[in-house]
Amino acid sequence: MDEVTLYHWEPNANSGKPMLALMEKGVPFASHYIDMLQFDQHKPEYLAINSQGTIPAMTHGSRVLTESTAIMEYVNDQFAGPDLMPGDAQDRWRVRWWMKFMDQWLGPSFSMIGWSVFVGPMVRQRDPAELDAAIERIPLPERRVAWRKAISGNFSDSEMAESRRRVGLGIAKLEEELGKRPYVGSDQYTLADINIFNSTYSLPLSQPDLAGKDKTPNIMRWLKRVYSRDAVKKTWAMGKTDLAHRYGLIMAEIEG
Amino acid sequence: MSAILYHGEPNGASLTVLAALAESGLAIECRHIDLLAGERHALPGISDSIALDLGIEGEGPVLVADGEAMTESVFLAQYLDEAAGGAGLQPTDAFARWEMMMWCRQITERLSPAAALLGNVASAQAALAAIPAEGFADITASIASDDLRERWQALHDGRIDAAQIADSEAKVAAAVERCEKQLVDGRDWLMGSFSIADLVTYSWLAAMEPLLPQAFTAAPRTQAWLARTTALPCIQAAFARATVPDPLRAWAPGPEINRWG
Repeated sequence: MDEVTLYHWEPNANSGKPMLALMEKGVPFASHYIDMLQFDQHKPEYLAINSQGTIPAMTHGSRVLTESTAIMEYVNDQFAGPDLMPGDAQDRWRVRWWMKFMDQWLGPSFSMIGWSVFVGPMVRQRDPAELDAAIERIPLPERRVAWRKAISGNFSDSEMAESRRRVGLGIAKLEEELGKRPYVGSDQYTLADINIFNSTYSLPLSQPDLAGKDKTPNIMRWLKRVYSRDAVKKTWAMGKTDLAHRYGLIMAEIEG
Repeated sequence: MSAILYHGEPNGASLTVLAALAESGLAIECRHIDLLAGERHALPGISDSIALDLGIEGEGPVLVADGEAMTESVFLAQYLDEAAGGAGLQPTDAFARWEMMMWCRQITERLSPAAALLGNVASAQAALAAIPAEGFADITASIASDDLRERWQALHDGRIDAAQIADSEAKVAAAVERCEKQLVDGRDWLMGSFSIADLVTYSWLAAMEPLLPQAFTAAPRTQAWLARTTALPCIQAAFARATVPDPLRAWAPGPEINRWG
């Protein structure tokens, strides 16, 4: 029952959420790296764990858990360690509201942009027949459509414009929120901070016109506060890219 | 805490929250608003409106607590349960909670937008089209969210195509199949014990039974579960707040259909 295994990609976006939550709680776990760019998540070995072919997934004994935000809530409820939800009911509502806002409104826009500028070009260089076969193995029809669009660069102008509108508005609202209180939705570090940090830490690099020291000082101070946590450092050290180094340089410029 | 619950007719998101409030036993003042008249976008005394302006659920109920507008029916149901010190609407076991939240997310992401689209086309579209142009422009001008305003406009202009209807009907049928499978072991409630999952699923599915009866013909367990839920005192208390004879025919623009399908 005690054994926890996490199937994840880079400590980033959805994969980063349960990694950070487990690390904050001090729960030891076996790490199983799934290379998304090699379509490991649609291979039979992984589909045997999570038939939906989405990452991350976590096993706890015989239990299989999916959906990154819901996994974090389970981790917080199930294990001892610091409570990553506030005690006040209205604060808890606000934490949940922000997580849904990120997961279902803002996040898909971030990923549409990320896929069109990063994931698409990366995988597009491969053999088209191999890519086609890889897409055919994706269990969820909507993920098949999304991958096809990302690989062929087929997001329409209006889809991309809407995603850019949402990213701009979402960043402005987050800046406002972090002017009201030190953390997202409450006065303490919670699952909402973990959730939103994983999708926004790269903004000063990826969206310099929208986010940075001068434009969004509240976000930058909050990013630095989160970035300085031991759990973040330990989690980022598990990545196979140079995340920690690149973002360390940005954070050094910001006053705490 | 000073709080007021602004709600539409007991259907969809408003039904979930009214039933959860009844179950919680909390004494929170309820005020009925006419969602199709845009009254949700002209509520008094709100100092913090981000959730009202950018909520994903569309024209759901709004709980105003200490000047803060709170939205999203599942989270409001959790809030009411927790503010009451645990009214039995959420399992205490962590894994059972995960299962309940996964179920609710399936419902709010797939069933709710589909049911809202079908319900709006069946009953709200004609009402919106009948609003004089100037009055409609006043309503849309009061909506802060561009994407919600666009859903009002599309419904008003009749820009709902056959493919969207077919997709929504398929999603409702899929939700019924999911319920039928979940109830196959003879359990009374979707998660085993009665929970927010029952309230949320009922709130979007109850109105689909008369609208899309073919989706329910091969689902006797789901039909029995709907009847069992209808009879609950908390659902009856919510229906008692209706101001129209058939609240299950009352709709207003709902959640958006997931942008990636």
